[in-house]
Amino acid sequence: MGRKREVKELDTTRRLFIAGAAGGLVSSVLVGRLVNLQLLNQEEFEARALVNQISLVPGVPRRGLIFDRFGEPLATHRTSWNVYAAREDLSDLEETLARIAEVVDLSPERQERLVQNFRREQSFIPVSILTDLTYEQFTRLSVMRPQLPGVTIEASHARSYPRGRDFAHVVGYVARANQSEIDAALEGLDPEIDRQRISRIQGVLKHPNMRVGRLGVEKEMDDWLGGTPGNHRYVRNAQGRTIRRLDDDENAPKPGKDVHLTIDADLQREAIRLFGDQSGAAVLMDVNSGDILTLASNPTYDPNDFVNGISSVDYNALRENERAPLYHKAYDGVYPPGSTFKMIVGAAALRAGLTDSSERVYCPGHYDFGGRRFHCWERRGHGSVNLKGAIQRSCDVYFYEIARRLGPERIAAEARTFGLGISYELGMTGGASGVVPNDDWKRRRFNEPWYDGETLNYGIGQGYLTVSPLQLAVMTARLARTDGVAVMPRMVGVGDAVPQNPQFGAMPDAAIMQKLREGMFAVTSETGGTALRAGDINFNGYRMAGKTGTAQVRVISAAERVTGVIDNADLPRRLRDHGLFVGFAPYDNPKYAVAVVVEHGGGSSAAYPIARDLMHEAFVRDSGRAASYQIASNATDTEAI
Amino acid sequence: MPTSFAQTNDDFVSRVFRLPWIMILIMLGLGIFGVAVLYSSTITNPIEAGLPAKHAVRLGIAFVFLFALAMTPLGFWSAVSYTGYLGALLLLVGVEFFGAMGGGAQRWLDIGPIRVQPSEFMKLALLLALARFYHQVRASGEVKFFHHIFALLMIAAPVMLVFRQPDLGTSLMLAATGFAVMFFAGMRYWIIIAGLVAVVLSAPLAYFYVLKDYQRERVLTAIDPSRDPLGAGYQIQQAEIAIGSGGAEGRGYMQGTQSQLDYIPEQHTDFIFTVIAEEFGFVGSVGLIGAWIALFALGLMVAGRSRSHFGYLASSGAVVTIAFYVFVNIAMVSGMLPVVGVPLPLISYGGTAMLTVMAAFAVICATNLDRDKHLSISGFF
Repeated sequence: MGRKREVKELDTTRRLFIAGAAGGLVSSVLVGRLVNLQLLNQEEFEARALVNQISLVPGVPRRGLIFDRFGEPLATHRTSWNVYAAREDLSDLEETLARIAEVVDLSPERQERLVQNFRREQSFIPVSILTDLTYEQFTRLSVMRPQLPGVTIEASHARSYPRGRDFAHVVGYVARANQSEIDAALEGLDPEIDRQRISRIQGVLKHPNMRVGRLGVEKEMDDWLGGTPGNHRYVRNAQGRTIRRLDDDENAPKPGKDVHLTIDADLQREAIRLFGDQSGAAVLMDVNSGDILTLASNPTYDPNDFVNGISSVDYNALRENERAPLYHKAYDGVYPPGSTFKMIVGAAALRAGLTDSSERVYCPGHYDFGGRRFHCWERRGHGSVNLKGAIQRSCDVYFYEIARRLGPERIAAEARTFGLGISYELGMTGGASGVVPNDDWKRRRFNEPWYDGETLNYGIGQGYLTVSPLQLAVMTARLARTDGVAVMPRMVGVGDAVPQNPQFGAMPDAAIMQKLREGMFAVTSETGGTALRAGDINFNGYRMAGKTGTAQVRVISAAERVTGVIDNADLPRRLRDHGLFVGFAPYDNPKYAVAVVVEHGGGSSAAYPIARDLMHEAFVRDSGRAASYQIASNATDTEAI
Repeated sequence: MPTSFAQTNDDFVSRVFRLPWIMILIMLGLGIFGVAVLYSSTITNPIEAGLPAKHAVRLGIAFVFLFALAMTPLGFWSAVSYTGYLGALLLLVGVEFFGAMGGGAQRWLDIGPIRVQPSEFMKLALLLALARFYHQVRASGEVKFFHHIFALLMIAAPVMLVFRQPDLGTSLMLAATGFAVMFFAGMRYWIIIAGLVAVVLSAPLAYFYVLKDYQRERVLTAIDPSRDPLGAGYQIQQAEIAIGSGGAEGRGYMQGTQSQLDYIPEQHTDFIFTVIAEEFGFVGSVGLIGAWIALFALGLMVAGRSRSHFGYLASSGAVVTIAFYVFVNIAMVSGMLPVVGVPLPLISYGGTAMLTVMAAFAVICATNLDRDKHLSISGFF
């Protein structure tokens, strides 16, 4: 030790203190930064952390289901695994598609088309890549999932129609929203002010899992079935993988409500089956409640084909089919009612006192009026007939005579009383009103006055008069009612489309109605009737009363009358007459009314077997089962159901 | 003098008892805390599943290493300092010529199967060499200005070599350690102040003429993270969100959304402080800083009690080296400094920095053990 140092002592302690102070200074700067970040701005950063991890995804609401009268599902859901992505979530679109193509079949052409689809949409809108994966595709893609960041493989509720063909026209189908539907949804929104709402509506409507009603009940009750779109909130990690979904009642989409129809799905199926390969329509309704149990049109098609978009080849095949499977014949189709209209003419005449049930008119097989000869379908004539006989044997001459006495206005008024000439709101798209012509109508339509000769044709349900099969059923149900109530048809048990009743004139007196019903009974059940084989519906001894009808499709020329009217069987199908039948049963206490139209059936003989068998089936199935739905008495009640 | 020396028992057991146990316990606590935080930050990523255990094993080895080095006599440190410095300098030159590419920069040197990072080794070697140099100068007379020039050259050589790798963070750290030793060695205050002023004034020049493009980019990104929201700026923004959202009390262990959902790149290495700040809040992060400050204060006290000039300089320099890691790391992840790749000692996952820090602690421990010993003029006993 003893080494003597000349140097002055180093201020080590001071220097250490200075170092410590410098350290303290640096520490306080750091703590100051932490105070700033953690204490003063915590809320902001917490909010940003939330924005970070939570992504809002357009939430497609679950669509309500559609059931038949007894709770049998008509429109339901099946799980479908779909693959989609939004461009903004993909680092490289082409590469992502190429990777998917490694494990599932995705041709280069399809990839190219998908790239175009992606380019067309805004970057945040998810675009469908694959729909309805098979189990194998699903497992293959699931294994690859880590290599497909930003791609969603998701189970969705794909619309499914278990009773497909039987309800194609009634239930309709859903499809991806097209541009005009999106435009309609955005109508009235200002692109500047409502930007967020617009992008949310677009986001949902363009979502690969979103479907909108395109036809039938699906479309008409879309607001009811569709629910309310919303947002799902997902917690995502930095790689974009979803960690979990947040329960969020406020923003979540609200599911749609179910719809119950009055139709009995099994009866509907039976109706379709009864038509075989004939085209036409059948409507069966409850005389007392107005419930429509069958609203069938044949041929039909499978609405399931439309859910993911039908190919244009298949669609054109349906469109060009001469039996018009796409056409809702029972609701949208209109036909001349032919002789089924004769009860209405009779009712008008009795009401007006222009005849009574005992007056007899002589039928020689033709009726001369205004220099023209009007033929009865029975060339040999019916001889002397009263109202009952005229209905029973469908005598044209009798109705020429009383129609002449009535004139078009009174016939038209009675037709409207019985429910013709208006369109019924049943809760689905379409609905034909048909034509109940009169002088005024003709002047408006053709700018011509009404000619008296036209009145005679009116009397046998020909000419300008057209009705839909539904209207025929309504007419028949009103004929069947013994209490003079103008029953209204209904098909949707629950919903806000419960029809508003139009105002009808009072029904004819009970005595008049009774006379008409007696005529209809004679048609099926008394010797000389035109449809004797339709009377026995083979159930509990019930008799069906009814009326046949033939709607002429072509004009029979005078020359043909001379050489003999060509038999329908010898005509090409498209020129054959339509066959019609309306009826109700049981005769003494009517429960169901039925109307059947067989297009180009050649005559009523094609129609009444269907009506009879359908009626039989309706009673067989009617074992007092309670319907599963409740009818909303008014619009406010519907919410509570 | 001899009295105190005579009272000092120098057998193994009494040396163990004289270890600075409070410091060691604080370090141990930090290390265990680090394993827990690492567990939280890697739990959601299956690829990182084994890391906390590996970190724990490394910590164990590092503490054994610390213990062994701490028990080494101070004179030994002094004796090997020049050799170590020259060796490290040679390795750095070797990196310059033969270095393998690693992490985008030339930092590693493959010697047979071993891979060394000479710049890390240099941190300690420079510290010890400078301490010995000043120790010798002081023992032989007054410290003159040209002595400082020579020390400056000793610092400049490795700093330039490391800067060329390029490794801005390490070269700045070497320079800071060197200057710190110069300061403790008695550089006049006016020179220090003048030097600081010069550094501040020359910073813009350095920015434009010395830094490489990507380094300039880092500086700009640190000033304004939104410049580069998908790259480095993203990391800083996410780090700030994590720290800020921790609030006063934090979100709770393993409850930080930023950390658990992998929003912060490198959150288990350089950015581990963000996990602490998010999950333990202001209380936790200030507590962590407090623990480090306690360590530094204890380290400076050891330096102040050292009878040998070498011990005083080596341990005060060691404190600065460790403090530099800690302060730069926290400043970096909280967005106050550019991202230069400095880990948080004992807590960040990674072995190299841990060994450097442990060795630096070992120097402090050794100084504490031999605080009453004088070293000869040459630096040997």
